[in-house]
Amino acid sequence: MSSYHGKVDSLGLSFFGSMTASISHELKNALAIINENAGLLGDLVVLSEKGRPLDPERMKTISENIRRRVQSADDIVRRLNRFAHSANQPVVSAGIRDIFACMVALSERLATMKGVSLALAPFDEIEVQTLPFVIENLLWICLKNIFLLAGAEQRVVLGACREAGDIVVTLHCTPEIPVEQLASTVAAEGQPLIFFLRMQIQADPDGSSLRLRMPIKFIE
Amino acid sequence: MRVLLVDDEEELVATLAERLDMRDIDAAWATDYRTALAMIKEREFDIALLDVRMPEMNGLELKRLIEAQRPDMKFIFLTGHGSEEDFKACSAESGKEYYLIKPVQIEVLIAKLNEICQGQGERG
Repeated sequence: MSSYHGKVDSLGLSFFGSMTASISHELKNALAIINENAGLLGDLVVLSEKGRPLDPERMKTISENIRRRVQSADDIVRRLNRFAHSANQPVVSAGIRDIFACMVALSERLATMKGVSLALAPFDEIEVQTLPFVIENLLWICLKNIFLLAGAEQRVVLGACREAGDIVVTLHCTPEIPVEQLASTVAAEGQPLIFFLRMQIQADPDGSSLRLRMPIKFIE
Repeated sequence: MRVLLVDDEEELVATLAERLDMRDIDAAWATDYRTALAMIKEREFDIALLDVRMPEMNGLELKRLIEAQRPDMKFIFLTGHGSEEDFKACSAESGKEYYLIKPVQIEVLIAKLNEICQGQGERG
């Protein structure tokens, strides 16, 4: 069991690195835009000192752009903080929808780069007793492998439902991708996490969804 | 000097282009590779400033396509990556490019543009 813990930790570290690198990239972009807008304000002031009249509406627009980007950067930092805390959480009661929402927000930039759109299916929140970070890690392994198989205008919808004492998570892909291949790849790469979560992974017979089934209560 | 800016963040390239114009640098911008390639066909540019990470096609791939049409054009890569080491490796692999890390101060960018246009200075 201890070697599994080691593998889970190792996968977790790699996942944490991928996510924080992506988040830092998002922050850099936000800072770059704030930097240009602030620079433009300064440029316009310098021009006004040389006699070109300042346009108050323009100044308002630029200030609003800065405010909006600061808000966006703050949202990114908030996500980073929530994600960082999930890495050191013990088994907790967590909403699966919240976990999905976190993963969609974290993965969105990387999905966009691959031409993939992510969405949540409408479903009622389901509370699970689990380690959110391990689920996030496994979802990331699923998503990054979907990105590799994705065709043009790929859409992935994350959903969940209760089945007996379990929760079944689905990643529905349109257009269809080879989900059997996806299931095998995820099963191999995420094997320690799948074992840790007592999860079963399978391709849906309809050929468009990956199904992850696990107990609602984490079994130590 | 005629500069083409390509980055998927429209607010970034549009603002940067305006600031370069204020400094008598003829700057045009595009937010995707298709528009950039169409602009290259229609107009002459001395330098392209390319974001490394863009949807559909990254800056390195776009550079190769531009170069096929305009072998004399020069390039600067703009990256949001915090890891300078990574980008130096990427830069070294692709040869003669220059790079800047976001956010970049306009004075630094203009110095780099001048340096490249005058064929001076060290790489990177």
